[in-house]
Amino acid sequence: MVRSAVKISLPIMFGFVPLGIAFGLLFQDLGYPWYFASLMGIIVYAGAAQFMAIGFLSAGLGVVEIAMSTFFLNSRHMFYGLSFLESFGNWNIRKLYLIFGMTDETYALLTTIKVPERFVKERYYLYITLFAQFYWVLGCTIGAILADVLTFNTDGMEFAATALFVVLLIEQWIIVRRLLPFIVGFISSIIALVFFINHMLLTAIMISIASIVFMRLIKGSQS
Amino acid sequence: MNELDYLIIVIIVMALSTYFTRLIPFVLFSPGRESSILNYVAKSTPPMVMMILVVYMLKDINDQSYELIYTLIALAITIGFQVYKRNALLSIVAGTAAYMFFVQI
Repeated sequence: MVRSAVKISLPIMFGFVPLGIAFGLLFQDLGYPWYFASLMGIIVYAGAAQFMAIGFLSAGLGVVEIAMSTFFLNSRHMFYGLSFLESFGNWNIRKLYLIFGMTDETYALLTTIKVPERFVKERYYLYITLFAQFYWVLGCTIGAILADVLTFNTDGMEFAATALFVVLLIEQWIIVRRLLPFIVGFISSIIALVFFINHMLLTAIMISIASIVFMRLIKGSQS
Repeated sequence: MNELDYLIIVIIVMALSTYFTRLIPFVLFSPGRESSILNYVAKSTPPMVMMILVVYMLKDINDQSYELIYTLIALAITIGFQVYKRNALLSIVAGTAAYMFFVQI
């Protein structure tokens, strides 16, 4: 099971390690000890929010503003949990960790893969989530330690995240085979891009969910 | 408050704030008792979110430069591999390698 989880989580590695390195490099500019970059990867574990934190820290922003900004930046994750209400199992430490580990990438992967029947779903999820966070912490740490000596040119590696989402989009199509959610998602993205470009992700997700709920209710009242 | 205290407080606040966003749905809705509409939302969300994430990742492309062209090539490689080989890792590595090649030359 561990081996299978490693294999299936490798696409996340290609996204997280370079992104984590980029974070570590930027974080080092602030002048704190390197292990705080790892610490952030371990206890905050949120890509975009950690990059935002670099700006907060250098500006010396107040704690309340930071709490609010982090909350709004990550509030799309509220909608991610809806897909796992049942499959994360009963309340225990494992479930608390699975919830903690729900980044865009793990959400995307866990909703797309099919867990082999011989494995316990929650444990399989746990391994994938653990490995994903490990890749992220590894990247943050490498970036922070090697800030001065890194010579490998990682330009363009950020495309791995795009490629991961494209691959998972194709896999979603193979699973779902209904055009509607894809069209709703696309139109919502465009609307959010035009009107709310600074909060595009969150608004697009809210518009798309509101739209399908609305469509469902209309359909329900007709039949 | 010295520099390091500030950093540690910021890290803790961000950790709690992030965890809170991820925890909310699990606290609000208990499994087994969800309505059919919530089930429908839960099922439709992954394809919608995936579509949104892809658009989000591609939104900053400069369409007046070569970036558009090589991004399209890298996307075509990724999609091509995924459709014909169904191997996620291979598709991602091939697409990213192509993209890095174009960015760095």
